[in-house]
Amino acid sequence: MPQNDKALLSRLKEQNVEFIVIGGVCGVLHGASLVTLDLDLCCRFSRENLRRLEIAVKDLHPRHRLTANKLPFELSDELCVSLKNIYLNTDLGILDCLSEVAGLGGYEEVFRQSIPHNLSYGEFRILNLDALIASKSAAGREKDLAAIKLFQAIKEKRTQQKELF
Amino acid sequence: MIDAATLAQMNGEYVMPPDAGPAWRAAAEYGFDMSLVEDALRLTPEERLEQHQRALDLVLEVKDAGERHAAK
Repeated sequence: MPQNDKALLSRLKEQNVEFIVIGGVCGVLHGASLVTLDLDLCCRFSRENLRRLEIAVKDLHPRHRLTANKLPFELSDELCVSLKNIYLNTDLGILDCLSEVAGLGGYEEVFRQSIPHNLSYGEFRILNLDALIASKSAAGREKDLAAIKLFQAIKEKRTQQKELF
Repeated sequence: MIDAATLAQMNGEYVMPPDAGPAWRAAAEYGFDMSLVEDALRLTPEERLEQHQRALDLVLEVKDAGERHAAK
């Protein structure tokens, strides 16, 4: 299965989905030499925003990838209220949308700890390095703790270079 | 005549930059190839994402080939 993060991000942007890039792709954007197999986002889990998400991926055969029968991603008003996370397989790859991030909190708090980021296909928000480190620390898996070493090194370098990014 | 330090670098030894701080050293000692990070930091974020996409495509291609081979 392909994983095309640029195409997924572009689609979400086109539909004005409110989200923040977290996880490995966020680390890559900060300069980490990692390869990550999915696109992790923190999204506002309002009904309007989830509906925009649904439209953005509608023609990509989205399915709840962690359900036993790979149920199709079709929202109802009830689901919009009860879903806390959405883990999808799509024709453009894996897209995981979380309503909150361990170590940081819900969307508003994650937004507060994010920075805008201009790519040629739109402006996106990504976690700042401190927040990325906090989220990985809270996740606590071995691979996360290893990645923290990399993020701390990049943070140190940026501090030395007095860069604003 | 190649000196021992240059030969070591040719063989993959990473030379810590003079301004390497404790976190940079810790990451290098942990086993990360910090020369890749140095390269990535010279790119724009968009270039980093494109580089990641190329690496990811390769990883997935190898993974698919492995799965096809196992299925035979």
